[in-house]
Amino acid sequence: MISAEDLTKVYGQRTALDHVSFEVPEGEIFGFVGPNGAGKTTTLRILAALLEPTSGHASIDGADVAQNPARVHTRIGYMPDFFGVYDQLTVAEYLDFYAACYRQPKQRRTKIVGELLELIGLTDRRDQLVDTLSRGLKQRLCLARALVHDPVVLLLDEPASGLDPRARVEMREILKELRGMGKTIIISSHILPELTELCTMIGIIDHGRMRATGSVQDVIRGLSADKRLRITVVGAREPAVAILEPLASVRRVDIANGTIEATYEGDDSTAADILQALTAGGIKVSAFSQVDGGLEEAFMRATSEDV
Amino acid sequence: MTRVVAAFWNPIVAKEYRSRMRTWRSPLAMMIYILLVAGLGFAVFSSIAISINQFGGQTANYGQGLFEYLVVFQMILLTFITPALTAGAISSERERQTIDLLFVTRIPPFSIIWGKLLSSMSFVVLLLLLSVPIFSLVFLFGGIELDQVLYSFLITVIAALTLGLIGIAFSTWLRRSLAATVAAYVGAFVLLFGTLGYGLIFPTAVDAKTTKAPAPPAITFLSPMLPLLYIANNGQLPFPYGVQNTNGFLTQGGSTVCGVSPGGGQFCSTTSGSGPSAISSSGSGFSTLQTQSSSTAIPSGLFEGWQPWQATIVMQLGICLVALLVSAFLLPPVRRLPWRRRRVVELEDA
Repeated sequence: MISAEDLTKVYGQRTALDHVSFEVPEGEIFGFVGPNGAGKTTTLRILAALLEPTSGHASIDGADVAQNPARVHTRIGYMPDFFGVYDQLTVAEYLDFYAACYRQPKQRRTKIVGELLELIGLTDRRDQLVDTLSRGLKQRLCLARALVHDPVVLLLDEPASGLDPRARVEMREILKELRGMGKTIIISSHILPELTELCTMIGIIDHGRMRATGSVQDVIRGLSADKRLRITVVGAREPAVAILEPLASVRRVDIANGTIEATYEGDDSTAADILQALTAGGIKVSAFSQVDGGLEEAFMRATSEDV
Repeated sequence: MTRVVAAFWNPIVAKEYRSRMRTWRSPLAMMIYILLVAGLGFAVFSSIAISINQFGGQTANYGQGLFEYLVVFQMILLTFITPALTAGAISSERERQTIDLLFVTRIPPFSIIWGKLLSSMSFVVLLLLLSVPIFSLVFLFGGIELDQVLYSFLITVIAALTLGLIGIAFSTWLRRSLAATVAAYVGAFVLLFGTLGYGLIFPTAVDAKTTKAPAPPAITFLSPMLPLLYIANNGQLPFPYGVQNTNGFLTQGGSTVCGVSPGGGQFCSTTSGSGPSAISSSGSGFSTLQTQSSSTAIPSGLFEGWQPWQATIVMQLGICLVALLVSAFLLPPVRRLPWRRRRVVELEDA
């Protein structure tokens, strides 16, 4: 649905994007994480056909963003990180204006505006002037604005930035609803827990380079500092430790909170071998699980590496 | 048909109308405008009334005088107003960070410019309509025909359109509204007065060898002031301008000099390099635009045989076209020459 291939953007001496590539299949929610200035906004602006990449290609729903921006614009709903609203327009007029800009017929516009106001919970404020809304409500309105033409793809640049915790939760609820509608969404954020809950895929970007991309679990596992196993055994733990320690793949074994934690090198099959070795040694294993370092740790690790 | 309507009447026009007319600024601007025009009208009217009482004379001359003051003053007022209406059109959208939200819609950049232009120009036309009752004062005195009024309004509207498009072009080119406004005012004053200044500094020299009467330099007709003065004065300029005689002094250009004799009759003399060569006189004191049209054409130069207002309108529409094309090229976030984009779309469709 969305594909970026070797996207590079150079501003004078500064490389804002350095061969960024990723794919987002239909219906996925792609979380785009990175510190400020990492290249998230640049990538989203290229995907929205608002910026021309220095090199590389991107396409949305089969339409090339550089070659056919008009077609891309019919497919996407774009919410920029910073945006303004017009004076002297009411909430309903604001949405109606953008629906008209997307060439929606007049009869349909009334229906669309009503439905969107309900989605974002602003029905009772439809006649309030847009510039008198709070920031949180403006963000919600801007999201509704991006939906007036029922796009298949949503590009949301920091939709929750600057919001108080309550507004953030409300925004997340709306995004979950959109996920339920089957939209393909790219959402950039630096608030990690939000993305873990919401996203099916993740991309970590830093200094214009994509450090990791894939499903949330894959990225976390791929970037975790240590691969750890948490093992609970029936009876004494010492025999299990005695079996684990000599194994070549195991680097360290600790006993913590009544369970054994083993740090190892390798992949999923290495973990299976370790379990096999324990059972072969007559140890009764009651629980055996891999411990993830978490997205936050993965993110810190990905962005601190000086590649 | 719907495509044509959509191109001319787009959501931006409706939105701009709403935003503009909901503020207190617009009624205030209209009030100040009408007070200024009416104030000038009243001042001239009063001085005319005193003149008639004290010195008598032809009321038609006074009507002509009032009309001249009003059209010139109206043009000067619009020179101040129009750049303010359009110079922020695009740059303010950039400053308020609303332009990207428009770029991602299906509104093409040209329609954005058109919508902004149409809404600003509608306000200018509204101001002009407001001044119509004051202009009707002129008909109390006579001396001005309806078509002179209509031609003057046409010149004023086209000049405002040109100033508006210059404002939009600067607004698209320069990112900041302040810079765009300053540049638009500079452009407006160059158009109105810079071109007139050119005629003062570099007047056409009278050439004794040609039988054609001299005319002010072609570029001076860019200024709407020149045709407005020509029309208000029945095809003549009220002062020597644009032509330098053999003594090195400015003289009146044009083929015919008309004046009003003390008895109220009108006399006209045709001038050439060597001075008056024919004098004709009519007793009525009135001349219609029809009769002047044949005698007030620009006698020589680039626009030989044209009416001054025709030269002005053609040159200004040329500037409008250039400003429109420049704006349409500069506005899109990703600039691409139109024929290249069309080819790509065709390839994709194929």
